[in-house]
Amino acid sequence: MSPAAIERPMLESACSKSSDESRRSFANLRGVQWRTDLGILPPLSSSTIDDLRKVTADSRRRYACLRRHLLVDPHLPKDGSNSPNLAIDNPLSQNPDSTWGRFFRNAELEKTVDQDLSRLYPEHGNYFQSTGCQGMLRRILLLWCLRHPEYGYRQGMHELLAPLLYVLHVDVERLSEVRKEYEDHFTDKFDGLSFQENDLRYNFDFKKYLDSMEDEIGSHGNATKVRSLDELDPEIQTIVLLSDAYGAEGELGIVLSEKFMEHDAYCMFDALMNGAHGAVAMADFFSPSPVGGSHSGLPPVIEASAALYHLLSVVDSSLHSHLVELGVEPQYFALRWLRVLFGREFSLENLLLIWDEIFAADKNKLEKGAGDDTGSTFGIFSSPQGALISAFAVSMILYLRSSLLSTENATICLQRLLKFPENIDLRKLIGKAKSLQALALGPSISSSSPRCGGAYNHSKSMVVRSHTLPSDSISPKTPLNMVPDSYWEEKWRVLHKAAEQRNGSSGKQNPTPKKGWTEKVRLSLSRTASDPSPAKAGCGNDHKPSVRRRLLEDLSQELGLDEDTEKAGCDEVSGQKDHICKVVEVENQDGVNNDFTCVAEERCLSGIAGSEENSSLFSDPSSPLSGANNHENDSEKSSVASNSSIDETDDHPEANHEDTTLPVSHLPNNATLNSGDNNEATGKSLAVPKERKLLSGKFQWFWKFGRSNDGEETSEKGNGALDVTKSANDAGSQSSTVCSSVDGSCYSSTTGDLVDQNMMGSLRNLGHSMLEHIQVIESVFQQDRVQVGSSDNFSKNVLVGKGQVTAMTALKELRKISNLLSEM
Amino acid sequence: MVLVLAIGDLHIPHRAADLPPKFKSMLVPGKIQHIICTGNLCIKEVHDYLKSLCPDLHITRGEYDEDSRYPETKTLTIGQFKLGICHGHQVIPWGDLDSLAMLQRQLDVDILIAGHTHQFKAYKHEGGVVINPGSATGAYSSFTYDVNPSFVLMDIDGLRVVVYVYELIDGEVKVDKIDFKKTATTRS
Repeated sequence: MSPAAIERPMLESACSKSSDESRRSFANLRGVQWRTDLGILPPLSSSTIDDLRKVTADSRRRYACLRRHLLVDPHLPKDGSNSPNLAIDNPLSQNPDSTWGRFFRNAELEKTVDQDLSRLYPEHGNYFQSTGCQGMLRRILLLWCLRHPEYGYRQGMHELLAPLLYVLHVDVERLSEVRKEYEDHFTDKFDGLSFQENDLRYNFDFKKYLDSMEDEIGSHGNATKVRSLDELDPEIQTIVLLSDAYGAEGELGIVLSEKFMEHDAYCMFDALMNGAHGAVAMADFFSPSPVGGSHSGLPPVIEASAALYHLLSVVDSSLHSHLVELGVEPQYFALRWLRVLFGREFSLENLLLIWDEIFAADKNKLEKGAGDDTGSTFGIFSSPQGALISAFAVSMILYLRSSLLSTENATICLQRLLKFPENIDLRKLIGKAKSLQALALGPSISSSSPRCGGAYNHSKSMVVRSHTLPSDSISPKTPLNMVPDSYWEEKWRVLHKAAEQRNGSSGKQNPTPKKGWTEKVRLSLSRTASDPSPAKAGCGNDHKPSVRRRLLEDLSQELGLDEDTEKAGCDEVSGQKDHICKVVEVENQDGVNNDFTCVAEERCLSGIAGSEENSSLFSDPSSPLSGANNHENDSEKSSVASNSSIDETDDHPEANHEDTTLPVSHLPNNATLNSGDNNEATGKSLAVPKERKLLSGKFQWFWKFGRSNDGEETSEKGNGALDVTKSANDAGSQSSTVCSSVDGSCYSSTTGDLVDQNMMGSLRNLGHSMLEHIQVIESVFQQDRVQVGSSDNFSKNVLVGKGQVTAMTALKELRKISNLLSEM
Repeated sequence: MVLVLAIGDLHIPHRAADLPPKFKSMLVPGKIQHIICTGNLCIKEVHDYLKSLCPDLHITRGEYDEDSRYPETKTLTIGQFKLGICHGHQVIPWGDLDSLAMLQRQLDVDILIAGHTHQFKAYKHEGGVVINPGSATGAYSSFTYDVNPSFVLMDIDGLRVVVYVYELIDGEVKVDKIDFKKTATTRS
């Protein structure tokens, strides 16, 4: 009886709050009231008791039918067949149609449901954890999920169902109380005449208390009525009327019935989830995919969370911006709030009051104004009920305003939001919610709302700039329609956009820091180039790896200047280069022929060149480059490299353009293929490619981009030519990857702003790369002039040949770029 | 609704390499609550495989089993039924109903599961039920080479047991079903 005892004062207060008398005729019978609100029962004002009973009976019949149909007992033979086909219907059958198969699937579902049910409302465990209640909840949930396989069972559905069942239970308890008090009205009057004859006391009572209710229902034609029904309280009247076993539809029509609690709870749950008659459909909040008709391609619960924040921004923009700056996305807390309709935030008694208000709200979708062609992008605002729900959530956030504003830590904010305080003045909250509801429904909301996606990118770009939550800035910030992409693709896109911004902002700055260490490069390279003979191998080789290492370290520092999010990438990038350095060094240290190693390095670089070209082939598969590769190397050993790079060329066109890790991994491969004697080196570098394959394309893109920027300044000497070669190809591939990424990002970006940014960035990059190519060609011609008269080291001849060819390749790259530009 | 698998005489690896693939595909973990094995597995790997199907495994010793720690006979209670397990080579003549009934009375069980003959049999007599699941791999027996792979699945539900017999005949799985009801009061 305790739940009913708690209920009473609450109910009375609810009564006093009510304004609409006709709707509150069932004020003390929440079960009936809610059923009316949810649309299961017709409102009392427009129908008679009999109608109510008929509707109730129908809905119960439907449920019973459903239950019989769906709850499978494999022992019972299927309808009509006495000898079922045993090959299908045996317990071990793999056939999905067999009854046993369905039985086992139901058992699986039940297990999932039970996991949640066992943890339901432990503080009210004496009711909710009782086996009867648990059994009912389990069956209801099971049947609903079987009926709606597209939603399946999601955690949270049990929390929506539990209060509904509780409310019905309370009603039944109230009924039994009333029964005790007003026994007379409930007693059977079959033996009315005999009572009158036998029991004087009863006779006396009968004469005193006229029971006109009997006449209305017309079950008995008893002459003496002891008490008119009007003398009873209206609520008692209704209770009596609704629970009479002889009314319309007999027992099935008893609106407040313990026997049919399960049926009624199922109907309520179904109506709540389906959003009958225009109400907010809770089931949408459980679906992961966008509902048809939503303006943004977001799942409804995310959209609703964004709607919350939008309303908050209108009401209290400082709090809103504070939360957004901290990176507290609405769905972190709003998901739970919305999915369970605040079930986890309040105690059960308060929750019932809140749900009273929510269910009582007008469900009809508002007509959109004529001039409102953009329309509210938030579906939740389209009905007063939805507006009330979001307004209530906003009032909850406002309630916590001071504690939220006082902290700069996002985690603490979230903690405060997720642990709503216990002792609250619910009336104030509800009152505030109602005022906000009016605001939410007003025209100002829709006209001032940015597009959903815009709000998203807004917050995303803000976080990217502010660096407050580096760990969070990647995954939740991307719009959710990109979630299906693989993790690495997503990272690449984010970093790419960041890089675009960086390009735009600091394009001028790039050359100057690079000049600092490219000077170093020039110095060291000039030293090595001046000793073309074996001495080069001696000290040059020592220098080269050290130079390269310095280059790479500087590059990694460069990249480290970028945003925090790329730190991990930079470490990997620099680590990758270290590995390559080590590979080269290993070769050197093995004491192979000096010329051989120096050629190996060159081939390594030519391999790089080859592979860079290969990567550009991804987006523009054409054969001229492979032809260029063929011409490149005259000597035998270098032809090995070119063959290997051509082989890779053949493999590459199939590869995804995003997966540009392969060329990176081929670098060490090339280097070691040529020095076949060095098994150890081979072993090491084979280990290296495996690591490389794990890197995403974006790392490589950055690496190339960095190197291209490096190489762009260096010129003049032989090794400089190699660098320039690299840069030419780097730039070419970079531009093509940029273009392809532009295409990719065009699909994904939802606002025009970002697209424009990307376009501008990519155009700028194209301009850069064109300049680079022109410089390459110029420098190559200069080198040709310089080196024609120099020593006869065969490597130098190779270089000269390469120089010419690189000029050709650069020209081809320029042609490609111009084609791309013309297409854009 | 308790599903009990009765299986035995696999003779892996001596006389057969493995269960027939059609049987293997049917035996998935999660559906069966108990496994009763008459014996002659013979090696630990088969024991582990059966254990993976269901953790509740009851097994008696056959004459070729390599693990000597299995008992000769075993009894257990599932639902309202008492089940007894024995390999069957101890009961002479092999496969004789009267001798098996004697063993059943000795163990005081409603259902006796014995094997060794590699032939599926299911007898009902007033004392109870005797089930021989046959050989699940179709391994040759001491007296015949012509053996069909077979095993038995019992569905114990209250006072009623439904016995599903799965036999592999000519490469097809044939299923048969036999109903047994326990007379409630006579045997306590």
